[in-house]
Amino acid sequence: MNIENAKLGHASAGFAMAGAITILFSTVLACVKDAYKPLNSFMNSVAWHNWITHGFVDVIVFGGLGMILSRSQWADRIAPRRLISFLVAAVIVAGVGLFVWYAAY
Amino acid sequence: MNITSSDVILLAHSTFGVFGTLAAVWVFVEALNARTENAGRIRVAAWIAALCMIATWIFGGYWYVHFYPADRAMILKGPWPFAHTLFMETKEHLFFIPLILSFYLPIAAADKLYENANARKMVLCVAMLIVLSGLAIEGAGAVINHGVKVALLHGIPGSGR
Repeated sequence: MNIENAKLGHASAGFAMAGAITILFSTVLACVKDAYKPLNSFMNSVAWHNWITHGFVDVIVFGGLGMILSRSQWADRIAPRRLISFLVAAVIVAGVGLFVWYAAY
Repeated sequence: MNITSSDVILLAHSTFGVFGTLAAVWVFVEALNARTENAGRIRVAAWIAALCMIATWIFGGYWYVHFYPADRAMILKGPWPFAHTLFMETKEHLFFIPLILSFYLPIAAADKLYENANARKMVLCVAMLIVLSGLAIEGAGAVINHGVKVALLHGIPGSGR
């Protein structure tokens, strides 16, 4: 049995959306802290180094958003193919965006 | 032979990165042929990918904070400053992509892939994204390594650690 239009599980759908949002958020945070030094300094003061703080923030955003979206079942209403496309697009935009940002900055 | 803690930590970082990428390849191949018989293996491989990425995060983070500043100074004075300004800067932030995806992989693999085509597609896509981003990061690591090497070959003053 292989259901073509089957939905993703609650956790899978919620955390997929959370992952895509976190990846985009992480990219924006990388660019903003690079351009706005006070934020970089603040993040350095939180957990030894801005990169460490950045990682912890990403994990907290992913975990927190994932739990909220899984329980609210909001992501369940999105067609699985759209969710997959959104996640893939987020990764491509983030990866290319980071490279272009540091190439131009 | 003089192997320092910096060497061990750096090599552990890249080795776990490779293992995490290979575990994602394993998930991808198993998910291509998802059946009830290999459902357990897919979940185990997904967890291995996640644990390896966590290990590479810890080792890489420790090395980056404690040992990289000396290498960065060398790279910036050498003929390949872009090894830091472009490749390291991109790599250190790009790393969060496979990290988050590897956290998600065991969650996606918990669905019944053998009876849900969309769950299977999700796992295939996530595993492939981890592999591609992992390979890009390994490649960036090689450029950074070469940035230090060419700086040393050009006799950058003060390049001793």
